[in-house]
Amino acid sequence: MKSYLGTAASVLAAATLFAGPSFADVCDTPTKLGDLGKFEGEVITIMGSMEGKDEEMLTNTASCFEAATGAVVKYSGSRDFAALIVADLRSNNSPNIAIFPQPGLAGDMAKEGHLVPLGQESADWMAENYGAGPSWVALGTYADKDGKEDFYGFAYKMDLKSLVWYSPEQFEDNGYEIPTTMEGLIALSDQMVEDGNTPWCIGVESGNATGWTATDWMEDLMLRTTTPENYDRWVSNDLPFNSPEVLKAMEVYGQFSRNDDYVAGGASSVATTFFGDAPKGLFSSPASCLMHRQASFIPAFFPNKGEEVANGEADFFYFPPYEAADLGNPVLGAGTLWTMTKDSPATRAFFEYMKEASAHEAWMAQGTFLTAHKGADLSAYATPALRKQGEILSNATTFRFDASDLMPGAIGAGAFWSEMTAFANGQDAKTTADNIQSAWDAIK
Amino acid sequence: MTRTFRNVVLALIVVIWVLPFIALVTTSLRSETASKTSGFWTAFTPTELGHRFGTHDKGKTEPFVTMSGNIFERLNHDRESYEVAGDVTSILFKGRLPDPDKPGKTKLIRKLIFAGEVMDVRGGEFVFQSSGDFTWTFPEATAPKPKNLDAFINQSPVFGTDAYIEVLFENKNVPNALISSFIVTIPATIIPITIAAFAAYAFAWMRFPGRDWLFVIVVSLMVVPTQLAFLPVLQGFSGIASWATSLNAWMTDCEITKTCQVASKSFASLWVTHTAFGLPLAIYLLRNYIVGLPKELLESARIDGASHLKIFTRLIIPLSVPALASFSIFQFLWVWNDLIVALYIGPADAADLVFPIRLQKQLGTFKDQLHLLNASAVISMIVPVIVFLSMQRYFVRGLLAGSVKGG
Repeated sequence: MKSYLGTAASVLAAATLFAGPSFADVCDTPTKLGDLGKFEGEVITIMGSMEGKDEEMLTNTASCFEAATGAVVKYSGSRDFAALIVADLRSNNSPNIAIFPQPGLAGDMAKEGHLVPLGQESADWMAENYGAGPSWVALGTYADKDGKEDFYGFAYKMDLKSLVWYSPEQFEDNGYEIPTTMEGLIALSDQMVEDGNTPWCIGVESGNATGWTATDWMEDLMLRTTTPENYDRWVSNDLPFNSPEVLKAMEVYGQFSRNDDYVAGGASSVATTFFGDAPKGLFSSPASCLMHRQASFIPAFFPNKGEEVANGEADFFYFPPYEAADLGNPVLGAGTLWTMTKDSPATRAFFEYMKEASAHEAWMAQGTFLTAHKGADLSAYATPALRKQGEILSNATTFRFDASDLMPGAIGAGAFWSEMTAFANGQDAKTTADNIQSAWDAIK
Repeated sequence: MTRTFRNVVLALIVVIWVLPFIALVTTSLRSETASKTSGFWTAFTPTELGHRFGTHDKGKTEPFVTMSGNIFERLNHDRESYEVAGDVTSILFKGRLPDPDKPGKTKLIRKLIFAGEVMDVRGGEFVFQSSGDFTWTFPEATAPKPKNLDAFINQSPVFGTDAYIEVLFENKNVPNALISSFIVTIPATIIPITIAAFAAYAFAWMRFPGRDWLFVIVVSLMVVPTQLAFLPVLQGFSGIASWATSLNAWMTDCEITKTCQVASKSFASLWVTHTAFGLPLAIYLLRNYIVGLPKELLESARIDGASHLKIFTRLIIPLSVPALASFSIFQFLWVWNDLIVALYIGPADAADLVFPIRLQKQLGTFKDQLHLLNASAVISMIVPVIVFLSMQRYFVRGLLAGSVKGG
């Protein structure tokens, strides 16, 4: 086991260029994990949608648990997770743990009785030990068959969405400064247009999830144009989709995305550009755009898979609020929810493991992982960039979850996406909002 | 006249059919950046492409008056393959320079500079030639920060096998997927054809009550889509697996949660599923062929005292080779290319994934590794092509099997 860890550590040493406790430090001292018990040879199966680099990091993090307990963690990731997990749960082929990227589906599965509650103790733990804890507990609490509410979803691995990515070198060449207010950001965009540059790269195409990038823009702008209370009412539809507050946010989004001068390739390209290809414009030669608003995970889609952030070719700034609106520093984010789909003592121990700060640090040290765990050592973040994101998270005066993840599936993963795509294709804001609202009325 | 016309049309159809394949192979041999930035048809002729290069390495701080270098060397020094070569046509200069109209202010300049022209970079004179040689001269010794410039290069075609090396040798995904696909495909072809041959003989030459009705039921099963049956099939397998687990526990005395767990999603589940869904077509195809064999032959065999089994093995099987072969091709290709059954019912361990899932994952990770995907796709095509070519002489005869039968 020791030698296996050695290899894992050396592989990671190459990826981890920065100081702070390395993955190996965290993982090599199982005593840090407390007493999780011994589960020699027991298999824990995990299903999720993470693939590629995320999958690698998940397996590495789980290997610390394997080293400490002797259990074997088997992860299988597929981008068809949402379809596969439903078939597996309904046909009695449940894995031990299912990682839901969106709470909507997890809630549906809880209602069908396929999830095992994690217990009030875990809920209390999370409320106390996570930043904005009660909101995370609420995100993982669903009703079962009989309508009884229980805590099912353990939020682990978070994303920060309110970021604008740019190339410092391009800003330097052009003599641009980083804006700290939304007014400044709009002025900078205009300045870029005047200089003959194109400010934004926007792409919302994402296969059968096309439109979600646009919903993120909308949510970020909702938090900047109206109060967090209105945002919450919007999520629960107490504030209708076609109310003036929501329409205003959509119109502001339109000022960015439907402006041929603002968007690389013209406004008509927004709906057909793959969201993962959009940021590549920052690095093309010559650069086709200078800014890209996207969540913390996006460096994985940069041409060198995120190396740009480490070597200074790419950086980000906080998507700023309106100075005039006086709404503080709102931040939009999301997280994956780990649920128990088949009970076993080893699986329960794995959930105990996720409560350990070191379980968070082990992934932080590898990259693209943010956590709200208050006990986790911030210096464990693999890169200064991640640390900076951690700071944005802690400087936030308001933190809100991705609204589309909280809305019912038919809206948040349906009408909201498709109508925002129609909006990108030229449908006006009023019709878009009316259509989403009537879709919502239909499921009430 | 008509013949020329016919040949032209034929040639056109061939081109349309072969074009995607050419695109696939070409892209798989191109570099990652090239395949992302330009179409495959530009790969064969010199193409003007933008490249970003840095004048010198970061942290190199000795002051100099004149620095000379080569753009291609700068571009290629960290490349192991797909080296850039050709002519530098121009450099896009971007920077702020003093505004002649407004004293004290600067103005953003975006301008194409051509070979031999002098360009002001960080206060020094930068001149480059189309061969890529450049000089950077300062009035006095300075140590400027490196400057990255966008150069437009009329690039010569360049090909390499990096993508193939990566998918075949660097990560073991493709070899693993090949092995898994063979483990699934070979039994999933042999089992249904064996069962179907026996069944077809029975339907064609044996008399038993309800034969025709049974045959109608089998044929009508052909229209049941696989997707419809996933949930019940999975439930069935999960039932069998838990039964097998308890049997295993009873026989070997192991603990249920640990070693003796029998997986409900395995290669065996795939064999059973593919067999079940392949059988109706196989029985139908083979029965129609076997029923068309000369009656006299079988009758004389019977008169000579041959049993059903003997007739089947000595007469029917050798005579049915074209039909058997053509069905094997169908079933082999179908199972080889199957994604959805393997995804739902097959094993989920990374090492056991079949080729189509591996291809999907290769696309799915970042949806941008087109070069790797294409290389893997070309490899995955080789096997069906070999199978098809080696059995194609049976194929046409087999296809006609049902259609021209006499009785």
